This record gives sequence, C-alpha cells and structure tokens, in this order.
Amino acid sequence: MSTPLIIGSVAYTPNVVTIWEGMRDYFAGGPAEMDFVLYSNYGRQVDALLAGHIDIAWNTNLAWVRTVAQTGGECRALAQRDTDTVFQTIFVARAGSALGGLEGLKGRRLALGSQDSAQAAILPVHYLRQAGLTSGGDGGGDVELLRINSDVGKHGDTGRSELDALRAVVEDRADAAALGVNTWEAIGRDELMPGAFEVFWESPTYSHCNFTALPTLDDERVAPWVAQLLAMDFDNPAHRPILEMEGLRQWVLPKLDGYASLFEAVEEQGISPRW
Amino acid sequence: MVNPLLVLDLVERTGALPVGGTTTVPLGEVAREHETELVALWCERNGNELVGVRDGVATVRRGRSPDPFAELAPDQVPGTRLWIYTNFDCNLACDYCCVRSSPQAARRAVGADKVAQLADEAADAGVSELILTGGEPFLLPDLDDLVAACTARLPTTLLTNAMLFRGRRLQMLQRMHRDRLVLQVSLDSATPELHDRHRGARSWERAVAGIRIAQAEGFRVRVAATLEPERFTELEPFRAFLDTLGIARGDQVIRALAHRGVAESGLELTLESLIPEITVTADGVYWHPVSADHDDHLVTRELFPLRDAIDEVRRRFVEIRARADAAAQWFPCA
Repeated sequence: MSTPLIIGSVAYTPNVVTIWEGMRDYFAGGPAEMDFVLYSNYGRQVDALLAGHIDIAWNTNLAWVRTVAQTGGECRALAQRDTDTVFQTIFVARAGSALGGLEGLKGRRLALGSQDSAQAAILPVHYLRQAGLTSGGDGGGDVELLRINSDVGKHGDTGRSELDALRAVVEDRADAAALGVNTWEAIGRDELMPGAFEVFWESPTYSHCNFTALPTLDDERVAPWVAQLLAMDFDNPAHRPILEMEGLRQWVLPKLDGYASLFEAVEEQGISPRW
Repeated sequence: MVNPLLVLDLVERTGALPVGGTTTVPLGEVAREHETELVALWCERNGNELVGVRDGVATVRRGRSPDPFAELAPDQVPGTRLWIYTNFDCNLACDYCCVRSSPQAARRAVGADKVAQLADEAADAGVSELILTGGEPFLLPDLDDLVAACTARLPTTLLTNAMLFRGRRLQMLQRMHRDRLVLQVSLDSATPELHDRHRGARSWERAVAGIRIAQAEGFRVRVAATLEPERFTELEPFRAFLDTLGIARGDQVIRALAHRGVAESGLELTLESLIPEITVTADGVYWHPVSADHDDHLVTRELFPLRDAIDEVRRRFVEIRARADAAAQWFPCA
C-alpha cells in the first residue's frame, strides 16, 4: 500500500464526513490512496497546507487566492468540479422591483453574505465597482451595504448568510441581495415561488473551489491521484452518490483564468492574505 | 402567495442535516395547502423527501429514503412470488396451524377457473413463482387440472403433507408436470415423536412414506419444518435425517412457529415485521401466507386485477418502511 495522500477539507455540513469517507473508499486499493482531515474553517486549513500537515487542500476560491498570495504563486490547482468552472453571483430583488441592472441599486440597500464569501460579498462589491458604483455601510456610497456575517470562516459554504440576505429582502430590511448561483438553485430560482424574487443582474461565470497543492508535493504521487479523480463516473452507481452530494457530475482540470476577477477584487478591497 | 421564508428555512435546515436526517418546518394556517404543495415541489426539485405533514408541521428528509426493495434478496421482493390457498380443509388438525385448517374447516376453495386466471395475471404482472398451499390441496378432486394451469404459466411449488398419495390422488400426482413442479412436504423432526405430537398419530410415518413415493415418481421434493424458535439450535440431527431421504440441503426449509391461527405460542408477526409475500385465498388478498386467515393482514377483497393487489402491497410496504425509518429518526433515547 502506498502512503496515502492527506486531503484537507472544511466541515461545513455533516455530509462532509460521508463525502470524504466515500472518496477514501473510492481511492482505496488504487495507485494513489488517500485519507482526509477536516478543519473548522478555511484559514486553519490553508495554514495546515502551508505547514505541510496535509498534502492537498479542498479550497474555496478565496482560500485558493490566499494560498497563491502566501506562496508567491508557487502553489498549484489540481482539479475542480465541473460546477466550479461556471460559478456565478446572482443579484435578486423582490419581484416587480424592476431594478433593471446594477445601476438600479443606486440609492438602495444591498444585503451581502459573510465577509469571506467570494460569491456573496467580495465579488458583489467588485461588480458594483466595475459598474461605477461606490458602496459602503450606513449610507456611505452609491449603494448602502447590509453585511450579514452568519458563517464567517466557511467562505459562504453553508449558504446561511445568503439565506439571511434573502430574508432581509423579504422583510424589507434590504432592497436586494447578492448570492451564489448554488443558493439561487437551492431555493428553486424564480420558478418555485413566482412572485417572490426576481433576478436583475447575473455575473459572468468564474471559478470556485479547487484542490490545491504545494510545489513540494511530488508529481509522481499527484498525477495518479488526479487521473483517478477524473475517472469518477456519474453513471456508475457506486460513484454517483458522492458526486451528487458534492454537487458535480464530473471532476475536471482547473480553469485558472476563472479566478482573475477574485484576484482583482481581493486587491481592490485590500483583503489580507490571511483571515 | 405562500411565504418565501418557508423555502429559505427549508434550505437552511436541510443543509445542516446529514443525508437521511429529518427536520421540520411549520406551515402557515392560511395557505397550508399551498405551502404543503410548495414543500413537496421543493423536495422533488432538490432530491429530498417530504415525509409527511401533521398538525401543520411538515417533516422533510435530506435525500430520499433508501429503496426498501433494493435491500431485499431478489426472491423476497413483493410480487416475485404468489401464494394461493387452494382450500382450507385438511385431513390433519395440526395444533399450530396458522390458518386454522382441519377436517372440520370449511373448504373455501379458490376454484380451478380463478386459479387459472391468477396464474395468467401473475405471469403478466412479473411474478416468477406460484406456490399452492392449503389446507391440504390433495383433498381437491380437480387438483391436477388446477396445478396444470399453474405449471403451464410459471414454475410452481405445491405444499402437501404427502399423506394421501394413493388411488385416485396418486393418479392426480402422476399427471403433474415433473419439471415445472416442486413438492414441498411438511415434516418437523427426524423421529415420529415431535412431528406426531403436533400433527397427529402416525402422521410422521405416512409423510416420510409420501416423500419416498413422490421421489419415486420423479418429483423434486423440498421439506419444510415448523419449529419452536428454541429448537433452532439443534437442527443438525434433523438435517442429517433429511440427507438420508435424499433431500438436498437447499431444499431443507426450517421456519419458526408463528403465533397465528390455532398456535398458542410462537413469533408475534405484524405487517411491519413481515416482508410481504402476496397471498390469495377465496376471501381476498393477504399480506403473507402465515396470516391468510386474519383480517388484520387483509389487503383487499378483490382478487382481480391481480396487478392492482400487487401494487397495493408494494405501496404499503414502502409506506411502512418509510414510517419505520422516520420513527427511528424521531425517537433516539440518548
């Protein structure tokens, strides 16, 4: 038996245990066995990767950007979910608001998710800036921001802060909310509750999570692991439950240009490499 | 309009659950029907399951409940076998008979025409094996016609005490299809004492003789014993005896005594504890052959179309298993 690669992941739901036990079983007996370690937040996980406690980190996009910053760009992304290559931020308001686009937010209040959520906080501010809008709390700027930091440390993985942002819209504490497309899907888009919410702007697609490794990890150990990962098959009944729980149909090689907008946002907003 | 907060609560509460876990969301009083529908639609769309609504509270499971049929051996899947009680009268009056058969029991025969229709509909509905039982089927004067109708459509097993293989009844046996029919004979012990205590004097000797006659006629014989649960630890002498009779180990069926019919003791069986084996009598369709004389296990009085009865049993089985799973989730003691 080869020495297993140790994968780090953040435990944002009890299903993370099921997912990674399933992954460990899938790799068992193959050329690149693996085990896993769970962390309570991404800061701790990135620290562990840099300290060599784990070989590979299952990172959010923000954790990737911070790892790049702390390694001077030496780290590498190994793979990601197909859904990670086409992630989006969705701006929604109450149905009938007719905001018409980001410029419609001028003079209004936008609810954001946790401060470390790329999809629900960091990138939305970036998109406002690209649209020529300034933003801030307590009425500062063109768009007033209502920040809801419900799940800091998890980089928005729980979706809790995005749901709270939507609650703020329903309860008229905000005019609009920014959320990840996965949360928008989870509430049934505007199809399940017609008359509740409407989308007034969708971001371009960008990259979300990836498996991150340091350059010190030997390619002879990484390559067979990545090859076996990419071979997981949605049509295989043994693989499918894990893929469904993790929210993908196919593991793919990383789409690195999809992180450009987040690198820009982090620089613009002066977000520190460590949280 | 329904309250959008309901869906937000659903997403948040199920998101925190492990797969298989359940949570509840309260529904509003004014639009309860619409909100129930919304919860069901949301569950369907997201791969979750609405377990039920009670007293204005919806219970939702993360993920879908496991397929109860997938956990069963292929021959246990309801609708794979069809039992038919051809009649209820019997030449014996066993003291543990689960359906109260005896010489005094009314015949309550299904009849050759209905048996033939059942065989046809069973084959069309995907049943792969017919099992005929009683009472003692060899008391029926037209048993050979009835068996022929079954073997013409599906492999068939005929349960008998094997005590009547002589004269006209032996001739009926000789007319049966040897390749499509298995005879299952009741025999409870390696020596007469125990068997005769439950089934009557000299019944063991005549059953063993009957087994030998059936084998000599070229039939495959299976032996089924009904034992008190405490006797399951002393099976080997009995199996060794059956070996001497030439009964293959795979044809040696040992089952526990059930507290049903005239039995004064035995396993307590309920709809919940039995994997259903669809059973037809003259009186209706029942959950399982062990309870074919008990109204608490009656599924329907309508024998036809048989497929409807099979569908109903499968539907109830799924419902019972889902209810049991949900109860297990709701009732942790520590």
